[in-house]
Amino acid sequence: MKHLIPEFDVMRRRYPAEATSSMVLPCLHRIQQERGHVADSDIAELSAYLGVPRIQIEEVLSHYTQFRRAPIGRWHLQACRNLSCSMRGAEGVIEHLSARLGIAPGQTSGDGRFTLSTVECLGSCGTAPVLMVNEAYHESMTPARLDALIEGLSRSGATP
Amino acid sequence: MVEFFINGQAVQAEDTQSVMQAANANGHFIPYFCWHPQLSVPGNCRICMVEVSNEGQPEGSGWLDIACNMPITQGMRVLTDSAKVRARRKETLQFITLNHPVDCGICDKAGECTLQDHHFEYNGSPSVSIDAKVHATKHFALSSRIVLDNERCILCTRCVRFTHEVSKTHALGVQNRGDHSLIRPVEDGAFEADPYSDNVIDICPVGALLSRPFLHQARVWYLKATPSVCPGCERGCSVKLWHRKSEWKLKALDPAQNERIDRVTPLENPAVNGPWICNKGRDLAQVFGRARADQPMQKGRPVELHAALASARALLKAAKNPVALISNWASNEELTAFNLALGARFNCFVKTDVQPAPGERLEDDLLIKPDKNPNTAAARSLFPLLPADARNAFGPDCDLVLVWGEGFSFAQLPPRAGIVYLNSWLQPENGHADVFLPISVMTERCGHYTNFQGVVSAFEACFAKKPGVADAEALFAELGTI
Amino acid sequence: MTGRKLIMTFPVTATSHLLQDYRARGGYATLDKVLREMRPEQVTKEVAASGILGHGGAAFPAGRKWGVIRLNDGLPHYLCANADEGEPGTFKDRWILENAPHLLLESMLISAFALQVRHAFVYIRGEFDLPYRRLAAAVEEAYAAGYFGQQPLGTDFACDIVIYRGAGSYVCGEASALITSIEGKKGYPRNRPPRLTVRGLYQRPTVINNVETLANVTAIVSMGGEAFRQIGTPKSPGTQLVSISGHVQRPGVYEVEYGYPLARFIREDCGGGLHGTPIKCIVPGGISTKVLTAAEIETLTYDHVSLTKAGSGVGSGGMVVIGEGTCMVRLLQILLRFYHHESCGQCTPCREGMGWMHRIIDRIVAGDGRPQDIEQLIRISIANDGTTICGMGDAAGYATLGIIAKYRDEFEYFIEHKRSRLDGRLEVANHG
Repeated sequence: MKHLIPEFDVMRRRYPAEATSSMVLPCLHRIQQERGHVADSDIAELSAYLGVPRIQIEEVLSHYTQFRRAPIGRWHLQACRNLSCSMRGAEGVIEHLSARLGIAPGQTSGDGRFTLSTVECLGSCGTAPVLMVNEAYHESMTPARLDALIEGLSRSGATP
Repeated sequence: MVEFFINGQAVQAEDTQSVMQAANANGHFIPYFCWHPQLSVPGNCRICMVEVSNEGQPEGSGWLDIACNMPITQGMRVLTDSAKVRARRKETLQFITLNHPVDCGICDKAGECTLQDHHFEYNGSPSVSIDAKVHATKHFALSSRIVLDNERCILCTRCVRFTHEVSKTHALGVQNRGDHSLIRPVEDGAFEADPYSDNVIDICPVGALLSRPFLHQARVWYLKATPSVCPGCERGCSVKLWHRKSEWKLKALDPAQNERIDRVTPLENPAVNGPWICNKGRDLAQVFGRARADQPMQKGRPVELHAALASARALLKAAKNPVALISNWASNEELTAFNLALGARFNCFVKTDVQPAPGERLEDDLLIKPDKNPNTAAARSLFPLLPADARNAFGPDCDLVLVWGEGFSFAQLPPRAGIVYLNSWLQPENGHADVFLPISVMTERCGHYTNFQGVVSAFEACFAKKPGVADAEALFAELGTI
Repeated sequence: MTGRKLIMTFPVTATSHLLQDYRARGGYATLDKVLREMRPEQVTKEVAASGILGHGGAAFPAGRKWGVIRLNDGLPHYLCANADEGEPGTFKDRWILENAPHLLLESMLISAFALQVRHAFVYIRGEFDLPYRRLAAAVEEAYAAGYFGQQPLGTDFACDIVIYRGAGSYVCGEASALITSIEGKKGYPRNRPPRLTVRGLYQRPTVINNVETLANVTAIVSMGGEAFRQIGTPKSPGTQLVSISGHVQRPGVYEVEYGYPLARFIREDCGGGLHGTPIKCIVPGGISTKVLTAAEIETLTYDHVSLTKAGSGVGSGGMVVIGEGTCMVRLLQILLRFYHHESCGQCTPCREGMGWMHRIIDRIVAGDGRPQDIEQLIRISIANDGTTICGMGDAAGYATLGIIAKYRDEFEYFIEHKRSRLDGRLEVANHG
C-alpha cells in the first residue's frame, strides 16, 4: 500500500484538517482497485498511515459489501435481484449465467475468470434487469446480451 | 437545575443530565442493558424506553422514547411503569431473546444475569417464534482469559466501548452487520495485551463474555463475595473475593477447592478504582494459592511454637543492635501492634516484599501504580524505607535481624547476625533462619490498608487460618514481653 | 407533459453535462449573483420562502433545516449532498449526477455560501459508475474554472468539495449513518438528540440534503422563493423527479409538477402497464412507502397531501408499477430479504425483527407457513414503528403492513394451500 501514499496525500488536501479518519473508505477503495482485494498488510499499513485504530478498518471491511479481503474472479458478475429487476427477469439472468458458467451465486468459475453474486438494488430500475460487471453497469440484459457479454469478457483474458 | 416528574414525583436534576441519569440518582429504576454510567450512550438495546409528555400536555398523550439519551426539560412528565411502557418492554425483551439460546442451565452467568432478571420481571413468557434461532460461534477465544459466546451476545457493545473509552486499547469491535454481527477482537492481539480486559466480563449483561479460569468452576450462588483490597499495587483497588459459602462446601470436593478464591471482581469504590480493576487483581487466587509455611522451625528443625517463641525472645534479649525489616504487605493493625510491642527495641526499615515482574506494566493513567505492594504508605508513616543498599541499614554491629515478609535475599544479611523470620510462604529461606514463625495472610483476618493517596480501605477474612499458622500481631505481643 | 420543469429543462446530448454547455444554458450566473449581491441569510430566506420539502423521502422543509445553522458561531459547518440513492425503485438522483452535475455543484456552492460551509461532500453510493465519473469530471471542471477552492469569482468565500464514495450499504442513505460513513466508519445511524444541524459530521453543525433538493436551490435563488412557491401545489411546491419502473411500458425518469394527476401520469405519460397488462398496484415512492391499489390511485394527484391522505407518501420518488398476476407474497419476500440484508444491526427491534420477518416469509414461500404468521408479521412491523434508532425498521414495517393490509387473501391462500395463488409470478407475460 505504501506506494499509494503520495496519491493519498494529494486526496487529503480537499478534506478538512480534522477529517483524517474519513480517509479510510477512499483509501480502501483505491487499494482494492489495484490489488483486487484488501490484504492484511494493507490494514496494518493504513492504520499506521492514518493513525486510526486498526479495529475501525477491520469493521469497515466487514460492514460494506463492496470491500473484500480475499481475491475473487477476474470478472465479478453482480446480478441485482431486488424488486424491479425481479419483475423484469432477474431470476432468468441469474439462472442463465449460472447455467452458462457452471457456478452458483457466491462461487467462482474453475478458471478464475468469473465470480457470480446476487446483489440488492443498484439504482438502475428503469433499465432492469441489471448486471454489474466489476465497476460497470450492464443494463436491460437479455439472454442474448448476456451471452455476448460473457463471450466478450472471456476473450479479454484471465488476468487483469 | 431543572424540575421534572418521574411517576408523579418531583425530581431535581441538572439540565445536562439524561432522564436515565436523573432517575438513577433519585432512586427510580429504569431497566437497561447497553447503558452504563461510565460509558458513552449508544441507545441500542431499547429496553429503557419510557413514556414521556411535556408540561401542559393532556394525560395519555405521551410518546415512548429511550431514557438514556433523553434530555431533561422543565416540567416534563416521565412514566417508567405505565401500561404502554410495560407492553413495550415485553416486546423488546421478545426481540432480545429471539435468538438468545436458553443456555441458563449451563451458563456461568445464571444467578447474576441482567437478562434473566429483566426477562423474569418484564416478560416472563416463552418465545412466540416458531423459527430456528440464528446460530453463531459459541466458544470463541477472545483472549487466553475470556471466552465469547456470540449466540448469547445481545450486541449491547459495552465491551467494545470499554476498550475504546476506558482501557483505550481499541481492541474490540463489531464485525459484519445486521443479525450476523459478531463481537471480535482486533486481529493484532491487542485485546490479549489489554491489562484491563477482564472488566468486560463484569459489564457484560449476559453470559456472552465469561472468564476462562472460572469457567464451570462454581455456580455463582455457591459463592459469597467478601470485600477486600487487592494487594497487587499501592492503589489498593477494592475487590470482592468470591469463595464457597459454608453450606456449599461439599465433602465430595477436593478440600483445596472449598478453601480457595474462586474469582475476583471489582468492588465499586469511587475514591479509589471506580468500577474497575486490572487483570492482576483477577489472579489473586494464584497469589494466595501458593504453598504455605505452617511449621515453626529453628534452623530448619521443626519445633513447637512456644519453643520457637522462647528462642526468639532469648535472641532478642541478648541482641545489642537489632534491626527489623518491616513487610509492606503488613496491615495497619499489624504495623501498630509491631510498633507498640517492638518498635522501640529495633532499628526499623520498611522493605519491599514484591518487585515488579519482568514485563509487568509499571504505571498508567488508569489504575496501575509502580509499587507492587499494598501498604507501603502506612508502613512508611511509621518507619523509614530500607536504603537502596540494604547493608547500610545494618551497620557494623548488627547482631540480630527480624525479617518480616517475603522478598528479601538473606545474602544481604550481616553474616554473623541472628535471624528471626516471620513469613507466610513455603520458601527455602525459612529453614535458614534461627527462628522461623509462620504467619497468617490477609484473607485469614480482618484489617486495613492505606493506599498511595492515603485512602484507608478495609479487608475482611474469607478463610480460617491454616493450622499451625499464627497472626503476626499475636506473635509481636508475645515477643514483646521480655 | 407532466407539468412545468425546473431541472429537466434541456435536451440531453453527448455534451449537455459539460461545463461549457451548462454555462451556455446560463449556468453559474446565479452563483455569481449570490456571491456579489447577497448575504448568506438572504439565500436561506429564499429557500425557506420556497417551502421546498426534502426529496430524499422524509419531506422535511429544507428551509427549516437550514435555519437551525447559526451563522458566525465560530464552528466549521458541513454540507453533504445525499447521493446514496439506495431505496429500491429509485434512480432519479442519478439523472442529475449524469446529466446535470453542474446544476448540483452550482447549487451546492450557493448552499455552502448560505450556510457558511468551507467543506462540502457528495456522498455517492459506491456502486454508481457513470454518475460518479460524470460528477468527478464536473468537479474538476469546476475547480479549473475557479468555482471551488480559494476565492471563487474573486470573492472571499472559499469552498472545497469531496465526492465521498460509499461501499455498499443501504443504511448509509440515512442522514446520520451517512455522516458516520463519511467519518470513515461503519454506516451506523445515530440517536437524536443531538440533531445533525447541531452536532453532525465530526460533531459539527451539518446540513444533509438529498441531491434533488439541493439541485433546486439554483432555481429557487434565481427566480426567488415566492415564485418557486407558485409551481406545484401550496403544500408541495415545485416538482419531483420521478423514477418509474417495474411493469410499466415506458420506465425512466420524469419531472412531474406536484399536483399532476397520478393515474394520468402512469397511463398516458408512461404508457400504462407493460405490454398492456392491467395495473394491480403501485409502490409510489420507494419500497418503504405503502402500496396503493389501481383503484386507489384513480383519484390521487401526485403530491404529499394527496398521497399521505391515501395512507402512503411521495417518499423517494421511486415509483414501481406492479401488474396484475404478480404474487404479492413473493414480492414481500424480496423486500424483507432486502431489509434483513441491509440492517446495520445496532438496535434490537430492527436487528432481530428483520431477520425474523425474513425467516417467516421464506417459510411461507417454501410452503411451510402457519396461520399465525400473518399476525406475527404485523406484530413485528408495529413493534418496529417508532422504536428504533433510525427509520429503517419503521420502513420495513410500513412496507409489510401495506402489502398485508391490501393483499391478505394472497397470504392466507399461500399458507393454506402451501403455494402461491398466482404461481409465484413476478413477471408479466409479453403479449407483444
